[in-house]
Amino acid sequence: MEDVRNLEEVEIERFSAFDRFVHWLTAIPFVYLFLSGLGMYSPKFAWLLPFLGGKEFSAWLHKWAGVVFAVGVFLMFLRWARDFVLDSDDMKWLSNVKHYIKGEEEKLPEAGKYNAGQKLFGWIVFLGGALFLITGIVMWFPESFPANIVRLSILLHEIAFIVVGAGFIVHVYMGTVGVPGSLSSMITGKVSALWAMSHHPKWFREVMRR
Amino acid sequence: MATVTTEGTVGLGLRRVSASKSPDQSIKQADQLAILVDISSCIGCKACEAGCSQWHDLKPSLNVGQGMFFGYQSGPGLAPNLFMYMRFQEHETPNGLVWAITKYQCMHCADPGCLKACPSPGAIIQYANGIVDFDHSKCIGCKFCLSGCPFDVPRYDANNKPWKCNFCIDRVSAGLEPMCVKTCPTNALHFGTKEEMLIRANKLLQGLKKRGFEKASIYDPPGVGGTGYIYLLPHGDKPEMYGLPKEASISPLVSLWKGPVKLIGSIVLWGTLLGAFLQLILFGPIKVGKKHKKEG
Repeated sequence: MEDVRNLEEVEIERFSAFDRFVHWLTAIPFVYLFLSGLGMYSPKFAWLLPFLGGKEFSAWLHKWAGVVFAVGVFLMFLRWARDFVLDSDDMKWLSNVKHYIKGEEEKLPEAGKYNAGQKLFGWIVFLGGALFLITGIVMWFPESFPANIVRLSILLHEIAFIVVGAGFIVHVYMGTVGVPGSLSSMITGKVSALWAMSHHPKWFREVMRR
Repeated sequence: MATVTTEGTVGLGLRRVSASKSPDQSIKQADQLAILVDISSCIGCKACEAGCSQWHDLKPSLNVGQGMFFGYQSGPGLAPNLFMYMRFQEHETPNGLVWAITKYQCMHCADPGCLKACPSPGAIIQYANGIVDFDHSKCIGCKFCLSGCPFDVPRYDANNKPWKCNFCIDRVSAGLEPMCVKTCPTNALHFGTKEEMLIRANKLLQGLKKRGFEKASIYDPPGVGGTGYIYLLPHGDKPEMYGLPKEASISPLVSLWKGPVKLIGSIVLWGTLLGAFLQLILFGPIKVGKKHKKEG
């Protein structure tokens, strides 16, 4: 028990200042994009737009927030793409994700710095971000593209919204309530050794070796 | 529906409102209005175009001295400040050259694609008499109406607000005929109820057929539920000759994104939220040290 308490006090750096900056550079525009997009996607949520600065303004800012988001996603891709490559352990992890949901991490292959779920979400963001950007540009200038390309773009933009939106809900839930300690890691950059040991044992050992 | 203020109990009733529930059709009754364009009587004088611009206070650019040549046309096509224009196209047929002159503007579809595609409640309205109009105060400038339109009609101003023919709704509401009809010197344009216009078109069609235009037909595309502008085409087998799409209908891509994809999206997004909540109340947060406590 004493060991555990000590581990709780030891802090390990998980995210560098650049990591945190890039995360929030992407996250803050995304929250705006998600809410304003929701207001445009569904008439049931059209009431959101006045809260985001007005319907015309939010439709306008949606585009520019998208540009910032795209830059953020690109930087994230450069930073994390290599770390997010899925290996065979990750596949095992994903197929047994039910244990993770039940809070039985010990039944899963040990995670490195990022577990398979985080890696998968990373790829959803990378690919979704690329799709959002390409289709978004077409939707921004519909007069400059063939009509069917614009229509297809709107459809793909919506599909990307559904997939990335679902991933975003899971990400926010886990980052705040679902896995205590995650949010502060993205703010201070640090996690407790105990947190690292129980959620990312392989990474924890690597850090300890150094 | 609560956000719609254009025409309530006064004035024309509404039939459809973008991104909103349809108003009750049993309260106000209105005849469907239509303009019949008799291509065979049109001499291409462009009086309708001039009248349209005059009535709507538009000053379309003249495209003079810009090194551009559009033949007899006033310009390359519709513009935010040009709600209608005469399209001139030459075609070779076995019987010689045909000069297809077509009045082109919003068709006022019975099932308007623009209205279907519009995500902003009340920004596009269809009056009970079938006229389709925009309400700029409710428009968010997303340009989805262009994607919904099978006829490539809406054109956008500097604020991304769409403009198009509004069937001179102000004149029609006051009991006057639309300006283009008023201006036409050859009676190529007829205005009345859709029913009357179809009867008249059929009479004219018989005349055309007698004169040797065996393939003449009435253009009233069923893919969009019929249109408020109907055309009598001498070469009715080839509406493309007149710049009109052969099979006009709302793109299935638009129907997909307004229908099934929206439903799937609701299920997926609400389901994810519910899933996260269930994880929380059934299993609780994934905390640290659980494993160690158990072991120790």
